[in-house]
Amino acid sequence: MNTILELFLVFFKIGACSFGGLSMIPVINEEMVGHGWMTLSEVTDIVAIAEMTPGPLGINAATFAGIQAAGLPGAIAASLGAVTCGLTLCLAGSIFLARIKGNPYLERFTYGIRPVCIGIMLATALSLLANYQKAGGGISPAAVAIGLTALWLLLKKNWSVPKVIAAAAALGLVFGGL
Amino acid sequence: MQERAASALPRWAEMTLVMLKIGLFTFGGGWSIVAQIQKEFVEIRGWLTKEELLDIVTIARSFPGIMVVNIAVMLGYTLGGTVCALLCALGMALPAFLVMTAVTACYTAIRENPWVSRVMVGVRAAVVPIILSATVNLWKTAVRDRTGLVIAGLAFLLPVLGVSNILVIFLGGGAGLVLQTLRLGRSRKEEGGEEK
Repeated sequence: MNTILELFLVFFKIGACSFGGLSMIPVINEEMVGHGWMTLSEVTDIVAIAEMTPGPLGINAATFAGIQAAGLPGAIAASLGAVTCGLTLCLAGSIFLARIKGNPYLERFTYGIRPVCIGIMLATALSLLANYQKAGGGISPAAVAIGLTALWLLLKKNWSVPKVIAAAAALGLVFGGL
Repeated sequence: MQERAASALPRWAEMTLVMLKIGLFTFGGGWSIVAQIQKEFVEIRGWLTKEELLDIVTIARSFPGIMVVNIAVMLGYTLGGTVCALLCALGMALPAFLVMTAVTACYTAIRENPWVSRVMVGVRAAVVPIILSATVNLWKTAVRDRTGLVIAGLAFLLPVLGVSNILVIFLGGGAGLVLQTLRLGRSRKEEGGEEK
């Protein structure tokens, strides 16, 4: 299949299966690595780069992935794909706003979706642990130490995500060669 | 206090410009963007009430897709119709698209540099903690009872066993629908059979 069309369709699927924030990452990870468009470490880089740049994460990820796979046209196709499902549903939703407000079925559906987001995010975090390996194999002590520091800054010190990434980058510059 | 001059622009144009501004200058995604929208449209312009915005956010969140683009569409439609909705979505997404195009070009050009790859060792190491802290923040609103905990546990195990994430998401949505509907039916029965 034409790569551009495929990018649109894959990101349409990703957009249709995303329910807020980082819960998009598991599906992006699965699709990008599955299609051979990106490696696991490139998917990791997207998360970090998207958190460091303005705007919604979904658009950041779609643009990055689209360019990696097929240049600028790929980026446009991927971004359009990512927003199409939500855009259509929300336009329809706005027209019937009064009827949808407080709809019990929508609420019951999200009652099941939200815990799923947590579960699949944790599963993705588990598979991303591969990033703590050295290039030649074996665990990188520097990466593990930086990861633990970042976790501490986020959970105990309440640092914002961009600040934590900046700190991790600085630590990487100093200790990354170890 | 400074009186805000009435804008010479039509509302759709002003909305698009504000969306562009929010899309360009708001870091950290989702909720910080919602906070900016509230400031621009509820507090500064008074075009809708806080409660109306809350209704929009609640519904936009439960639809699939990119939350802030969904909110931009619903807000745009409510205040200016279909064309305004599409312009607002474009305004919200365009800055991120342009910035990422530039960033990706740089990334491809410099990623092989040895200093950059050292930096990336640190940055990549921070991503798992970022995902973990996002789940911690989500936990309170997402996992409301023991059923939620079981669903979260299964959603963790199934992808590890090789089931596709997409399937898991819709199984979860279906489970929520079925379980909550059953539970509601049961509690209604317990309240008394006089209803019939």
